Amino acid sequence: MKPRVAFFDFTGCEGCQLEVLNFNLEIVDLIGAVDIVEFREASSDHSDDYDIAFIEGSQTTDRDVERVQKIREKAKILVALGACSCTGGVNALKNRFSMEENLKVVYGDSAKLYSTIPTRPTSAYVKVDVQIHGCPPNRNEVISLVKCLLTGKKFEQCHNPVCVECKLAENICAFERGEFCLGPITRGGCNAVCVTGGRKCWGCRALVDEPNVNSEKEILKKYGLTMDDMMLQFKLFNGALEVSK
Amino acid sequence: MQNRVISRKDLASFVDDLIKTKSAGEVIGIKAQGNKFNFGPLASAAELRLDYDISLLPPKKYFFPQTETVLKYEVGKTPKVEAVAAEKPLCIIGVHPFDIRGLLLFDAVYGGKEPDPNYFLKRNKAIIIGVDCLSPNPKSFAASMGTNITEEGFDLMLTDLGGDYFVTVGTNKGHNLINKAKTREAGAPDLEKRDKVRKEAEKKYQVSLKMKKEEIPALLDATWESKLFKDRSETCFSCGSCVMVCPTCVCFDVQDEMALSLKGGERYRRWDGCMLTEFASVASGENFREHKEQRFRHRMYRKGKYLVERYKYLGCVGCGRCASACLAEIASPAETYNLLKEAK
Repeated sequence: MKPRVAFFDFTGCEGCQLEVLNFNLEIVDLIGAVDIVEFREASSDHSDDYDIAFIEGSQTTDRDVERVQKIREKAKILVALGACSCTGGVNALKNRFSMEENLKVVYGDSAKLYSTIPTRPTSAYVKVDVQIHGCPPNRNEVISLVKCLLTGKKFEQCHNPVCVECKLAENICAFERGEFCLGPITRGGCNAVCVTGGRKCWGCRALVDEPNVNSEKEILKKYGLTMDDMMLQFKLFNGALEVSK
Repeated sequence: MQNRVISRKDLASFVDDLIKTKSAGEVIGIKAQGNKFNFGPLASAAELRLDYDISLLPPKKYFFPQTETVLKYEVGKTPKVEAVAAEKPLCIIGVHPFDIRGLLLFDAVYGGKEPDPNYFLKRNKAIIIGVDCLSPNPKSFAASMGTNITEEGFDLMLTDLGGDYFVTVGTNKGHNLINKAKTREAGAPDLEKRDKVRKEAEKKYQVSLKMKKEEIPALLDATWESKLFKDRSETCFSCGSCVMVCPTCVCFDVQDEMALSLKGGERYRRWDGCMLTEFASVASGENFREHKEQRFRHRMYRKGKYLVERYKYLGCVGCGRCASACLAEIASPAETYNLLKEAK
């Protein structure tokens, strides 16, 4: 029997689901290999019977927390898909302000009708079996995970910092272009797509296993930047992580 | 073999002819990439930048690509396995002597009793047109490693004499190739000029070893316990940049990738390196070089001792790529060996 797969969306832009739909021809193979029983962005089907649950987005209300806990009870394997679910992602920007302030900014006079909680990674509420990092996640990694689940192979996250993939792609280092890049402390697996595209790494795939944050701070000085400059960049995707100044 | 002298204009015609006729295979050359240089397919001789210091990646990528499929397989009742190795004739123009030395080390490592077919199918077909490095990278110490000049490993070697290029002919293949170009025989004064240009270039190296290169293995033998490895690796990102850009780093990882159909798949290899955290991890979960100082020390020993003992070649050609790529500024083997010597 084919494994039953469900995608659930929480707070986020739904770009992760879109990335899965962007598989082109591989989506056909994917549909052949698994039964997709819930995928709001692609299908109106709905089911409570599934083996593998992909969680997209962060849990930003108490109701979200209850919902993700119920999904956890039903799923054999729970996958955090994308930055918002893995680390809190850009949603964690709101943690810099009080929840009252956030509600007021977004809902104005109707703020009292809503409630919200600080953004935390999905792993703060339920056991997460696999994390697929990134904003958006790398589609090859999603496919690789599905293949591992189908064949019983252990899924390995990428352990290299982004620098490895920059070198393989023959990029000129973003630092040499005068940019401050989070690549040296950020988990690779994205094929250094941002730097290859002429930009710098914003750390959407969270910290690598052994991040040398102290060394990154040393480099800041060399390039005439301050810790605040770095934190501003780092917290775009990793606001829910605690990093000491 | 008779060496030649060729004018800039005739060299350009020669290269353009190679590109047009593909008589020596696909023409690869050293070109500008932003404010750096890199090897890539050459569309015209005008793109050639023979005055460069170092390329982003060494030319090894043409014989040992970053990722390469080595096997295809089908599973089921009658499983099929097929080795994948393709030859591709290439003519690479603008390889520096130290990178040629890197390739000679590769030949030794990938050769031996069971030569690596994926490497040699490409390597054996290749024509190497070298160029002497006259404007060394500020981090390079090739002169100390004796790799700023090479007498072997090329079909043709160019030396910029100012107006013309001296062409040192290294092989019959090179001889036949340059015969198609408009050149003149090199005489004693030309040879003298070539050697003078090389001597002057040697003085331009800003980093040097404070010992003879032959002393490195013994130095390392005596300094295994040195505190320096820990101190110097403190700022290491374990980012692997040093090993990814290295012309003598030969290591790769092998992975099997099943297709989603689960009917078959392929095995590929990808560059890997000993400065990465997972490099020495094995199936049980044990990591033989768990700490960055162990990895840092291993790299220095690998370059300065292990490879010499096994293949007679030092594992570092002094190109300076690692030192240029290292944000923490700790990667240069010359600097570490010098500090070890000072501390002794």
